[in-house]
Amino acid sequence: MAACSTILVAALSTACATSGQTRTEQADQNAPMTLSFWSTGGDDETATFQKAADLYHQKHPNVTVKVQTLSWDDAYAKLLAAATSRTGPDILSGGMTWTIQFGARGAMVDLRKHGIDALKGQAQPAQWESAVSPDGSVYGVPLDMSTLALYYRTDLLDKAGIDAPPKTWEELVKDIGTLKAAGVKKPYSQDWGNLDWIGYFNYLYQAGGAFYTADCKPSLDTPQAEQALTYWVDLYREHGAPTATVEGSDALDTGTAMVVAGNWIAKGLDTNKPKLKGKWAMAPLPAGPAGPTTFIGGRAIGVTSYSKYAQTGADFVKFMYTDEAIAAVADEARKRNISYIPPRPDKIVGGSTFTPEQAQVFAQAIGTGKAAPGCPGWDESASDVAKQLQSAILGKTDAKTALAEAAKVMQRNAG
Amino acid sequence: MAGPVPIGGRLRRVPVDRLRRYGTSYAMLLPFLALFAAFLLWPLANSLYLSFTSFDGVNPAVFTGLDNFAELAGDARFRHALGNTALYVVASVVLGTLLSLGLALAFNGPSWPHRIMRTLFFLPSVTSSIALMLMWKWVLFPSEAGLANTIVHWLGGSTVPWLATPSLTIPILVLMSVWGGMGYGMVLYVAGLGSIPEEYYEAARIDGASTWQRFRHITLPLLRPVTTYVVVTGLIGAFQVFEAVYIVFRGTNNIGGVLDSALMIVPYLYDQGFTHFKLGYASAIAWVLFLIIFVLSLVNLRVGRAMKEL
Repeated sequence: MAACSTILVAALSTACATSGQTRTEQADQNAPMTLSFWSTGGDDETATFQKAADLYHQKHPNVTVKVQTLSWDDAYAKLLAAATSRTGPDILSGGMTWTIQFGARGAMVDLRKHGIDALKGQAQPAQWESAVSPDGSVYGVPLDMSTLALYYRTDLLDKAGIDAPPKTWEELVKDIGTLKAAGVKKPYSQDWGNLDWIGYFNYLYQAGGAFYTADCKPSLDTPQAEQALTYWVDLYREHGAPTATVEGSDALDTGTAMVVAGNWIAKGLDTNKPKLKGKWAMAPLPAGPAGPTTFIGGRAIGVTSYSKYAQTGADFVKFMYTDEAIAAVADEARKRNISYIPPRPDKIVGGSTFTPEQAQVFAQAIGTGKAAPGCPGWDESASDVAKQLQSAILGKTDAKTALAEAAKVMQRNAG
Repeated sequence: MAGPVPIGGRLRRVPVDRLRRYGTSYAMLLPFLALFAAFLLWPLANSLYLSFTSFDGVNPAVFTGLDNFAELAGDARFRHALGNTALYVVASVVLGTLLSLGLALAFNGPSWPHRIMRTLFFLPSVTSSIALMLMWKWVLFPSEAGLANTIVHWLGGSTVPWLATPSLTIPILVLMSVWGGMGYGMVLYVAGLGSIPEEYYEAARIDGASTWQRFRHITLPLLRPVTTYVVVTGLIGAFQVFEAVYIVFRGTNNIGGVLDSALMIVPYLYDQGFTHFKLGYASAIAWVLFLIIFVLSLVNLRVGRAMKEL
């Protein structure tokens, strides 16, 4: 009998609605209505978006938007169950490719019908591009941004006689050597993207490579991709970067001199690790042979196809790009001491929750940033690509073979 | 004097008599039956149907015949998950059963120290598995903050990347499973030991049997039903391992951890169904897993019965 429970995992959440979709009849958009917005993230983030929802209510008294939290761990499964039963939220937010995935299966509204293209000029171009489906549909738009920075311990760099953080690949390797010679046992580590394609992403684009060409042909079997992987592998195998992932603030706290980590750790570092106060700073990632490029992530926001209030939902999505909505979210995020980078690059310095110096670093990273590939087959390939990268890092294969294998998988999934 | 009751009449009356006699009991069972049918039988039947479709969770299911099963046969990741699971099942069931028996033999007395030890070893079985896995994650944390690495440092070693070393993955999963499950097996074995009549041992002692001979020829054979139960339930549980992989080893974009070293069947099923929208395929995996467990359990029961007849 216990074996049956396994089958239930696959069956229970899907068994309720296998009869197919029906077109959702739209309600009167001027009547009083309550929209449900499932926000993937933490409760503090929910509270910040609720501030924007409250502001929207002030301007549209007939519309109430209730924001609810979905934790990152189970959000995807819950959203899938909601799409299956067509009884979920009117608006949802989640990973950048989620709205594309749900949209491709008919669970999201193509926001182009509601004039969403007007936001394109305000968003970061690469991030906008990553939210657009391969067929041009826009099922979601960026809700916020996240990126990476090089966090470093000023006291440890001083001890080693290094007066500025590394600006290039060569300087990074040289500084790791200098730190080691000065007795720093843990000179460098990577948090977000360690042993994963996100980590490789930065080096790949910094070397002038890309996962796909502009017309979505897999392009990992290039000299640039090999140069990037060879350099990345060397950071682990020659220069001692740890394969095990330690969260950025913990890594800094336990004596790592330089850590590549997400923007979200900057906000709470002084509070969570009081010993580090005054002993850390941050800089953009070191540039590669083709220049500086940093991965940009974030959340996408979209309207579900089973919402009775699609037009109002789309209007709320557009509202999230207004100065006042961004200010409301940023103010609440500041009060709660959490990270928030608005989806508009022109608002990063004034509208984010970071100090001006920190915001400058993120603005610089985002200015040259690239986002996850939105090409067909990428989601199916990502874990296999990561596995090939891990094979190279763990010495099971060489960089060229790993990339050729990864390219094969991408080619197969590209259809 | 009443004549013989015609057979047809008896046949007609039996259900009425039964209904009169057991009607109240059946009525009281109805709510459970309704729940059982709604939340087990119907989803099971549905999942069997889905395993023959290309259902993506949103659009109507499209019947594809045996395509999902044919794809499974050529799926290298599924084979990898199957291999990992087989290794894990064998190691965790064998070790878990042996250690359960060992603990039961060591602490089967009525004294307080034995009771305390039994309680301590049983504790993980009544603790939330999620809480236990989060604790293991902390134990294996890859820096000085992790308990395992703290001990390694005390012994003069350097930090071990426990969760990023593929060769350590299955041993760690087996350790977590055995540690968490041996208390439950121990309690079953203690109950089994208590049911063996003391006279058998006395007679064997009088005949000059050694401790090993008494264990080999009295304890082990009489514990066979308990062993069968421990092994079968252990097999079923081990095949369905999920939390340990999902909580402790899952990477940002890969449920199976580094190099898929922790990829097991159920996590793979979840990944295919709930992150890749392949719910038909996931259902096919679930039914293959069901068949594997069903066949192995049957084999185990048959072997147990055959050994009893020897």
